Formats: sequence, structure tokens, C-alpha cells
Amino acid sequence: MNPALLGNLGVSLALAFSLLGLALALLAYFQGDGRFLRGARALVLPALLAALAAFLALEWALLTHDFRVAYVAKNHSLQDPLWVTLVTPWAALEGSILLWGLLQTLYTFLAARKPLDPWRASLVLAVLFGIQVFFFGVMATIASPFETLPNPPADGVGPNPLLQNHWMMAVHPVLMYLGFVGLSVPFAYAVAAMAVRRYQTWVEETRWWALIAWGFLTAGKVAGMWWSYEVLGWGGYWAWDPVENASFIPWLLATAFLHTAIVQQTRGAFKAWNFAFVTLAFAATVLGTFLTRSGVIMSVHAFAEGPVGPAFLGFFLLSTSLGLGLLSRVGREVRDTAVFRPLSREGTLLLGAFFFAGWALVVLLGTFYPLLVEAFAGAKVSVGAPFFNQISAPIGAGILLLMGVGPILPWRRPRAEVFRNLYLLLAVLAGGTLLGLLLGYTLGASLAVGLFLYNLAAILLLVREGVLGRKAAGLSPWGFLENRRRVGSLVVHLGVALMGLGIAFSQTYRLEAEKTLYQGQAWEVAGVRMAFQGVRALDEGRRFAVEALLRTDRFGEVRPRLHFYPQMNAPLPAPKVIYTPGNDYYFLLMDFDREKGTWASVRLIVTPLVFWMWVAGGLMALGTLYILWPARGAEAAKGVSPA
Amino acid sequence: MRVWVLLLALFLPALAQEGPPPDLSPEVFAIARELRCPVCQGESAAESNAGVAVEMRRLIAEMLQEGKTEAEIKAFFVDRYGEWILYEPPRQGLTLWVWLLPLAGLLLLGAGLFAYFRPRRTLPPELLEEAERRLKEPPA
Repeated sequence: MNPALLGNLGVSLALAFSLLGLALALLAYFQGDGRFLRGARALVLPALLAALAAFLALEWALLTHDFRVAYVAKNHSLQDPLWVTLVTPWAALEGSILLWGLLQTLYTFLAARKPLDPWRASLVLAVLFGIQVFFFGVMATIASPFETLPNPPADGVGPNPLLQNHWMMAVHPVLMYLGFVGLSVPFAYAVAAMAVRRYQTWVEETRWWALIAWGFLTAGKVAGMWWSYEVLGWGGYWAWDPVENASFIPWLLATAFLHTAIVQQTRGAFKAWNFAFVTLAFAATVLGTFLTRSGVIMSVHAFAEGPVGPAFLGFFLLSTSLGLGLLSRVGREVRDTAVFRPLSREGTLLLGAFFFAGWALVVLLGTFYPLLVEAFAGAKVSVGAPFFNQISAPIGAGILLLMGVGPILPWRRPRAEVFRNLYLLLAVLAGGTLLGLLLGYTLGASLAVGLFLYNLAAILLLVREGVLGRKAAGLSPWGFLENRRRVGSLVVHLGVALMGLGIAFSQTYRLEAEKTLYQGQAWEVAGVRMAFQGVRALDEGRRFAVEALLRTDRFGEVRPRLHFYPQMNAPLPAPKVIYTPGNDYYFLLMDFDREKGTWASVRLIVTPLVFWMWVAGGLMALGTLYILWPARGAEAAKGVSPA
Repeated sequence: MRVWVLLLALFLPALAQEGPPPDLSPEVFAIARELRCPVCQGESAAESNAGVAVEMRRLIAEMLQEGKTEAEIKAFFVDRYGEWILYEPPRQGLTLWVWLLPLAGLLLLGAGLFAYFRPRRTLPPELLEEAERRLKEPPA
């Protein structure tokens, strides 16, 4: 037995189990025979084990430096530290697809454990097995992680240096994949619901799945932003790069779905929207993979290109037409008949969902536009950060506005006493914006201050209402914490408000300057005084590092670095970031005198409130976790407070 | 012009070490951030460490010192590389639609929402009577 053999065996078996499972699940549905369903269920665990065996085979090949495997030869070297070796399976295309397939089998396994009526259970299994067939089919044919080389090299080149520069690489991709794959379960339930024409319960049943997927996506994105900030050496966290956009679109659609799902659970409305959002969110994960892994769009993230483009495009079209085709078939039955008022909980939730969906459309448009122009007009154009920022700012402001007022408004129609709270919130918004303007901030930044304070006030009002309501009923005010959905969502919303403030300020007030310093020379910029004391070279085995010694008045000695990797011709800057609650100070070594080390070019980037964006990301993840955390009793889990 | 740029790119690694890079003020970065680094994958001229990007920053710094405006500097680079160099698509020509479509979408969205939130009109009285009459009538 060798790793390639075990891997190929695992992939083939996973494909075979999935194909068989798909066939049995479809038979169970169309024949109405429970024996087939039992057979399909029995194949869920074997598929998971086969996928796990394949994944472990890849780790085995990497750990034993088996360069006969092409993937290992391309992405591994003898000098890689252990943690880099362990995370190399997702450093390139084939391994990433294997991880995706493995996580899919895991989600299928977990989803199959849920009790469900046999009709929908067979369809849910059929969809999930179908997705597995696609992934393992791709692995078995065009993107095999276990292809072998006739003449294996003695040593490989190792993974892309950008990926081994920071431990975040161990975390960020896995979180993203957990999020992407998680969206497959609500999609499968939605397809089953439309097929058997039972439109109401699937939302409640997949609420947790959607929330888990959203939580992973959020955590993954924030982790990626932080990685970009710490590693890429440009002092930014979001570049509107095609890959970032491609993963932002499912996040936006999943967010829209989470909000319209609440309306269906509470009022039974927006059924059609929920089917559409969940289909598009799932399809967007596939489209994103096509966009970024097929080489049609250039991107700094294009670590993992390959011949899988057409396959992913086909799968995207298939899943979209499955979801939307079924939706058009049942369109008459899921149409909303009730009357909605804009100034109600459901009104703001729908409006907010439209903001998210519209944002997703704009991001899609901007990402694809250069491609379309090149295809039809033969000209090259760029649609970059300035476009996305200008379009996103008003959308983001609209979302922040709705986020504050939505939870305050009651369902159906506003009561008279609600208007007092609304006027209070508007006063806070106006006052905060005015305060910002008086402090001399730009209009956009002042509006961000206003919106942050307005959201803070809205959250405080809701907490106060919850606590006072319990006191008036003679209950312990701490019981408010038992309302996990309310408290958790408020924590997430607080995180979003803080994120908005951080984005607005860091985008508006970023200061960047560069200067060449000679030994002993001092430079004062942005309130920091630094003196250059020389460069030092370090041989670190797999790379060569040069660091500049800067003595600063506020942060002691700071040592930004340049890393030279043998497989890259340009050095990679390794910034030194000083995080403070006000400004972040980002020191970069850009260049140095290679003969005598007498000078070094140093760049300083000062960005306000970035620190709070990471806090905000933590709050969003914690809030999600709080909602998902198992409640003590079944009573509490239903949101009914025990008397 | 193109040949000159190519030659420049070829010899930049050698040029770069001839002397230290120039000092760059925040204004240089503000302009460079909006320009694409022509040889990179999705990086701006402010971020990239490629030779061309270093040279672009140097040119921007020089032109700023000569008193040129941001628009003139951008025009210089558009002249050299085409409009592709601008990260902000111009609101004219081929890229006009990327700006217009979101606006059109917004209008469409507004119209759709108006339809959604508009109170459902009840039938006019004469039709209502007719409907009631038909309901009571036994089917023919």
C-alpha cells in the first residue's frame, strides 16, 4: 500500500458510494419505497470514511515526502515546517477540492442523522449525494490529487510562499470551505420542499445549518482580511479582488436568506424569496469556484488553477436551474398574499434582504464586467476598488440604517409608543453625524459615527425593553440572556456596526508615506519619530530574511522584514504592525542597500480603527456561537422563557 | 513609447539598486492606489513591489513636484497604457454601463418594492357585486 493507491481507492470508493447513494435515493423517492431509502442512508457513512481515507492519504504522502505524487512534488518541499506540511492539502486546487469533498461528506453525514419524512429525506439525500458525485467525479477525472509522476524529483518547490508566511493559512481556507459546504444542506432541504410542495417547515429545519454556514463564512472572511493585512504588506484588508468578491457574494445572499427566513418562520411569508436566496447562495459558492479556479480572471489568490472551469460552470448552471426551475413550477403556490407595510419588522427585513441581494448583484456585475467587455468589445478595462467602494458605501449605510430600526419595529404595524423610540434613534443619528462634522471628519465618516451611535442606542433600547419587561412580569432580568436568538443577534449587530465604523474610518483616513533612511538618520511622520540603525540578515533555512532595525520613540525597536524565497524572484515584505485602539502603525521595509546596508527604504502606513474591525469580527462570531449554543431545556430552545 | 516601457521593465532590476528609491509623500500613494500595476495580478501601483510599480511611483512623485495635477498624472498613464490602467472605470465609453446598471437596478428595485408594499386595492363596488352574484349562482 502506498499513499497514491490509498488516495485513488478512497476517491473512487467515495465516488462509487455517492453514485449508488444518489441512485438509491432517487429510486426511494420515485418508487416510494423505504427500503431504498434505508440503503441510501447506509451509504452516507462509507462515503465519509472513503473521503477521509483519501484526505489522510494526501497527508500521508506529504508527511512522508512522497514526490511520486504530482501534488506533493508541486506543493511540498523537504524544508517545509511540520505545520506547513499539514496544511498543504489546501494550498492548491486538487487538494482543496478533496477537502471540499471531505467536508461535503461530513455535512451529508450530519444532515442524514436528522429525522425527516421519507419523501423529503430521499430528496435531501439525493441532492447531497449529487453534490458529492460532482466533487469526487472531478477528483477522479480532471483534477486528481493523486496523479503520479514517472520521474519523481528528489525535492519539490514547496507551497506558494504567501501561504507559508502566516499561520492564518491553516485556519482561513478551512473556515471558508466549512461555510461554503454548509450552504448545501439548506439548498437540499429547499429543493426537497419545492419538490414535495411542503413549503413551510424547511426554513425552521435548516435554520441552524444556515446559521452555522454563515458563522463559518463570517469567521473565514474576517480571518482572510486579517491574513491579507498581516501578510500581503499593503496595509489593507480588502482589495475587491475577484476571489474576495466571489466569496463575498454567497455571504451576502446567505445573510439575506437568514433575514427573510425569520419572516417565513414568524409570518409564513416570503417563501419564494427564501427558495430563491438559498438556491442562489449555494450556486454562488460554485460560481465563485469557477470564477477563481478556472483562470478566467486574474487574481492574487489564483494559487490553484486548473482545468476544472467548465465542470464548475456546468455544475453552477445545473444547481441554479434545479432550484429556480422548481421555484418557477411552484411559483403560484408560494406567492405572498398578505399586505406588508414598509414600517414593520417584516418590511425592514425584506428591504434589508433586497439591499444584500442588490449588493451581491453589483459585486457580480463589477467582477464580471471586464470579462464581458473583453469578450464582446475586445477591449481591456479595469473595474477596481474605487468603483466597488463608491457603490458599496451607500448600500452599507442603508443596511446599517435598517439594522438599527428593524428590531425596534413590531411585526405587522407600528404601535404608537414605537414612534417615540424611532424619533429618539433618529435624533441620535443626526446628533452623532453632527458631532462628527463638528470634530472635522468628512461627511462619510461623520455619517458612520452617527450610524454607529444610532445602532448602539437601538441595541441599548432593546436590552432595556427586554430587561424591564421581565422585571414588570416579576421575572429575573437575567432571564433576558436566555433569549439566545435575540441576544446573539444583538451581539452580531453590534459587531456589524463596529465593523462599519472601522471600515469607514480606515478607508477615509489612511496615511501612507515612504522614505529612504541612511544609517542614523531620523524621520518624523504621522506623530512617530523613528531612527534607522541598520539592517541585519538572517538565514532561516527555507528562506532568507533581512530586517531593518528602527528605533522609535513610541514603540521601542521595530523590525520590519523582507523575506527572500528561492522560488520567488521578488522578495516578500513581512510588515511589523503595532495595533493600538486608535491608529494602527504598519511598518514596512521596502528596499535596502544590498552592498553595504547603509540605507533602507521604509514605508509607514497609519490607519485608524482597524483594531476594532478584528474586535467586530470576534463579536460577530461570538454572537453566532451564542445563538447556536445548545439551550438548557427544550422550552428555552424554542424561545419560550420558562415561567 | 511601448518599446521604451518594455526596455524600462527589463532593466529595472539593475536600475533599482543603482540608487535608493525616492521619498514618497502620502499624495503619491493616493494617486498610485487608483492605478493598476501593469505586470501584477490585481495589485495597484501603490502596493506592488514590481519594478514597474516602483518606477510608476517615482514618476508620480516627480510629476507632483513639477506641479502637475492628479488628473494630468492619470492622463499621462492612460496615454501610455490605455484606460485599463485606471482602477476607477471612467463614466463614459465602454465602462459607462457598469455605473449605469446599478442605478437602473436601484430604480427597478424601487418600483418592485412599491408594488410589494402598495396596499392591495379592493375591487370596485360594481365588480364586487358581480362577483358575489356569481358566487351565489349555481354553476351552469
